[in-house]
Amino acid sequence: MMLLTVVLWGMVGAFLLPLYHTARRRDIWETMLALSSVATKSSLILLLVSVIRDDWMMGLVGVITLSVGNAGFMLLAHLLRRMGQSGDSSLG
Amino acid sequence: MDPVVNVIMVLLPLSAGLLVLETNPYRALVVRGVLGSVAALLYALLGAADVALTEALVGTLLAVMLYAVAVRSSLVVRLGVLQGDLAQGGGGLAHLMTALRQVLGQEYVQVEWVPYGELEALQQALANQEVHGICLCLEPEGVQMITPIQRLYEILQREWPLPLQLEYQPLPAGGGH
Repeated sequence: MMLLTVVLWGMVGAFLLPLYHTARRRDIWETMLALSSVATKSSLILLLVSVIRDDWMMGLVGVITLSVGNAGFMLLAHLLRRMGQSGDSSLG
Repeated sequence: MDPVVNVIMVLLPLSAGLLVLETNPYRALVVRGVLGSVAALLYALLGAADVALTEALVGTLLAVMLYAVAVRSSLVVRLGVLQGDLAQGGGGLAHLMTALRQVLGQEYVQVEWVPYGELEALQQALANQEVHGICLCLEPEGVQMITPIQRLYEILQREWPLPLQLEYQPLPAGGGH
């Protein structure tokens, strides 16, 4: 259990990296990358915590977030790509 | 309480602050997704699995989609042009489009051409508020632009880099807007 707690702290530390990247205003695609990173990492933290606490309910939430989050991400990426094609310089 | 939960609890107002401070609407959409993920994680860790699931499904997916559609449909300037002018491929309209995108891109507004067959149809579209303005190629060269929207006129007048004949023509009273 001690090992899992150390892994959990490591995951929380890794969770801070994409958030820091979101704060830096650069290319919007890098922000999208940070979004996908945050979405996946939050689900994995949930799964790990559910194992540590032996709580199936949280694990279920983690699995559903992990599987459904990608659909919204793909739709948003598609929309942003269409924007880029129509020549919005602010997205470049 | 678990110290890990405390750390993640700090991240929620942090990402919310990032979202509030974001000026670009498209980037704000993406940051909204990040906020939704952090919120769902925190709710689940605090034991509210149902709230977390709702936040993940509605907050992150549906809200971002609806906002995306709203931003996409509202932040567009539609400019009517004649099909003949477009087909000529005259440098006038192409330069105009580049300059318009540069100027209006700073305000996160996009520009679209709406082609019309005849001059009458173009002017009718302007009167019916189908377009936000019309652009006409002048002889021998140059472009005339007429818009009934005061804000658009002000932005273009303030920051216009090219010589352009710009005209503000308010709609008759009772025309809406």
